[in-house]
Amino acid sequence: MTKLSRHSNTRSIRRTPRILTVVPICDGHDSAIVTINFEFARHGIEVIYLGYHRSVRDVVRAAIQEDVQAIGISSYNGGHIEFFSQVLRMLRDEGAADIGVFGGGGGTITAPDVRVLKRRGVDEIFLAGTPLESIVEFVRRNYSKPRRGIARANLDGPLNDLELGKLLTAAEVRSKPSPLARGPSTTVIGITGPGGAGKTTLIDELALRFLNSQARGRLAILSHDPSLAAKGALLGDRAGMVNAQQDRVFMRSIGTRGKPGGLAAATRRSVEILKHGGFGLTLVESAGIGQEDLPFARGVVDKQVLVMSPDYGSRLQLHKIVMLETADVVVVNKADLPGGRTAYSELEQRLASNKPRPKLIATVAKRHRDPGVDELFKEVVS
Amino acid sequence: MSALAQIINAAQEFERSVEAQVRKARSDTRFAGELRRRWRKIRDGVPTIETPAGLKLPRLALPQTDEPAEIARFVFGDGLPGEFPFVTAAYPEMYLQKPGGSGQQAEVEEPTRLFAGLGLAEDTNRRFHYLTQHQHSIRLSTAFDGPTLYGIDSDADGVLGKVGEGGVAIDTVEDMERLYARFPLGDEHFSVSMTINGPAPIILAMYVAAAQRRFGRSVIPKLRGTVQADILKEVQAQNETIFPMEASLRFLTDMAEFTTTHMQRWYPISISGYHIAEAGATPVQQAAFTLSNGFAYVEMFQSRGLAVDRFGPRLSFFLDCGLDLEYVALGRVCRKLWAIGMRDVFHAGLRAQMFKLHTQTSGRSLIAQEYKNNLTRTAIELLLAYMNATNSCHSNSADEPFTTPSEEYVRLAAHAQAIVLEESGLFKLMMNTLAGSPGMKILERALEEAILNEFRQIDQLGGVLAATELRYQRSQIQTAAHRYETQINDGTRPIIGWNRFGDRSASLPDVKVVRTPRSRQQLQINRLQKFKRTHRDQAGRALDRLSKVVESGGNVFAELLNTVEHCSLGQITGRLQEIVGRFRPTM
Repeated sequence: MTKLSRHSNTRSIRRTPRILTVVPICDGHDSAIVTINFEFARHGIEVIYLGYHRSVRDVVRAAIQEDVQAIGISSYNGGHIEFFSQVLRMLRDEGAADIGVFGGGGGTITAPDVRVLKRRGVDEIFLAGTPLESIVEFVRRNYSKPRRGIARANLDGPLNDLELGKLLTAAEVRSKPSPLARGPSTTVIGITGPGGAGKTTLIDELALRFLNSQARGRLAILSHDPSLAAKGALLGDRAGMVNAQQDRVFMRSIGTRGKPGGLAAATRRSVEILKHGGFGLTLVESAGIGQEDLPFARGVVDKQVLVMSPDYGSRLQLHKIVMLETADVVVVNKADLPGGRTAYSELEQRLASNKPRPKLIATVAKRHRDPGVDELFKEVVS
Repeated sequence: MSALAQIINAAQEFERSVEAQVRKARSDTRFAGELRRRWRKIRDGVPTIETPAGLKLPRLALPQTDEPAEIARFVFGDGLPGEFPFVTAAYPEMYLQKPGGSGQQAEVEEPTRLFAGLGLAEDTNRRFHYLTQHQHSIRLSTAFDGPTLYGIDSDADGVLGKVGEGGVAIDTVEDMERLYARFPLGDEHFSVSMTINGPAPIILAMYVAAAQRRFGRSVIPKLRGTVQADILKEVQAQNETIFPMEASLRFLTDMAEFTTTHMQRWYPISISGYHIAEAGATPVQQAAFTLSNGFAYVEMFQSRGLAVDRFGPRLSFFLDCGLDLEYVALGRVCRKLWAIGMRDVFHAGLRAQMFKLHTQTSGRSLIAQEYKNNLTRTAIELLLAYMNATNSCHSNSADEPFTTPSEEYVRLAAHAQAIVLEESGLFKLMMNTLAGSPGMKILERALEEAILNEFRQIDQLGGVLAATELRYQRSQIQTAAHRYETQINDGTRPIIGWNRFGDRSASLPDVKVVRTPRSRQQLQINRLQKFKRTHRDQAGRALDRLSKVVESGGNVFAELLNTVEHCSLGQITGRLQEIVGRFRPTM
């Protein structure tokens, strides 16, 4: 048994608030929240954006897995009293009542509604016409304090998402090795590539195949996105994922927080925790990388997948991408684009001299049931 | 050459041809004489109206000229009402109140449309009957609640609070029967409009099935109305897409194929700029994206083998009208560009060249602060809409910024239209009083150029579908929305009662909000679950049959007519998503 008390450890680091933002189920009004997300990130807040049309369960699950200080809900389509109340109730049921809830939503939330919502435990509702600065100020003032750590976690037994979430936060702070680094471990796949190659979509499709391939096992995803110079970050990978937002997937978004190369300082420790967290498979997505980057060089993962899109430029560029020398699998995603076939054959030649020769797979991740993604899935689980 | 590039060329070619006619009118005396004779005939044919004060005026305002070049410019460049390129109007006669004789009245359709949907099907049904009690022809415009718009069931996880909010809750064909109960669905004076997109084929299948249950199979060809079903604008702006774009477009085309063949009075799609504008697009973007989406649908239906002259007359458009200066002429320019594209690129006949326009006043222009000002905003927008010779119009209720409109404000909104059209003499007497002014001509020219420039951008990206996948329209709309907000913040876009002459101390109005009671929401869930229990045995088989049709490439809509007899909206959406996938939002 290990006693985890994060109070003293986390306070110094977690000065920047980490929050989750979302638009409720059956609501597609995302223009306000998109603007606010950027504003948050610009002002040093780490924002995990869950996207629009998300259920209460999706919201609470993500908040717990991401171990955020607060949830911001932007609701324009009515039914807000129910939605906010259900989020609060479910947070309580899951033992995460200390996660704050705030929100807003144009004219549909009336003054009497605000009174009801506050009575039920919502921290603040911002009405139409509120200047963005005051929302940012509110978040910085109220959600900078770290949340309670888990007083004790039975690290011998299986961890629930709440414990795992907090353990990962602790790993971001403490440089000690994970207390979990014992017991059976599972395969960890590193997925990297330049920004915009479609890594997130590919991972979401791999998740779907994983979930369909077995009835019970869980999948872990550790997803990196760059932090801004101001220390804030917009971690938006969840928003584009339609398959991976469900109970059998544990996903954690992590900002690179100033570390170059596609990963974060805490990556290794986080992977160690996930690896022993009882998952059937762990996928680690790097932030978009440059030509020289080798994010997984130091043995963090069991297999390295490099995802590229056909628009890498001239053929000469392929000889500058160092990652092509170490990848176990190279994927040409967006293979349906005009340059798809050219890219495939140029890469084929480029990889011909590698030993061992990496597997080259063409995928169209955006296409449902893409055979290329099937092949990639077989390759990563083999 | 891509269709869009051809349309750009055709528009330029059209201008050249008008200029050629103008030059010919100047130089060719025989042609000039012909034009003069024709002009006299046109002028003589215009009926005379009389104002209530006794002034006699022509029903149609024509340029006051005998100069052949000017005549040519009007006749060929603008066109008479109902004549190519329809700048003046899509139809020869609009908004005219014919004196006496109810037989005659039936020919002129009341352009007023009222959007309604709240609570359960029977609640909306009651509202429909209330709204239409004095109307000769019944035109019902239906709003659906969030779960229905997203194709999920009322008993889905966490949607309870959304059931019946902002629109009517529809889960099954039985709800659909209740929604339009006691209305004569097959009657020629009855039509419905359903604002639904992602699940449009399933909802329309429920409507057809419900009509069949009441009136038998023979009612199908008589059904009149429209479903919005505009998937492109959903992906570009409104985010109510439930299947990947490609699959959505296939289901849409299946539906259009079915209605074109079996429901010839049905409008299978309402190509909508409204939501594009509400999401923040400029008037030019609204027009350009809507028109180009429309042309993309035409290409798609044509490549399915449907004849443009069969489906073309059944395409209609839905635009937003706000307070911006551009709206003085936006509808006029859209009519012209649509006609040119349809005639010169898609080789459509006259009826398919007509841009049939439904306008709604801008929801975005309404604000909660001092909300009674919204009555004035809507009145001005109505005026602009009718100046563009819209074929029908919906006026927003002043209380919309906070709630589903209350009966009081719905009534005021309807009366606003009656005041414009009946009380004022602006449109019912002379149909185009304000057309042809130098200001309007300048606007038309500038708008057309800007719209064609947008077409060029879209074409360079590989056309509408490619540009949509590349998020072009979406990011343009977001940029425009951001600019709009910035302008409000820095005061360069004055909003009275908010950033100008605002009463800072005034709190939001404590209006009475119409909401669906919990007990009603529970009733909807109970009904749905009873339906599912009753059809437990047939549902699986019906879904399997549907799957087969999807996999084999058959017409999904035709099969949906069977599926909806045993399956709920959510069950059908779920099965279809298993096969074709779910829509992935682009960030």
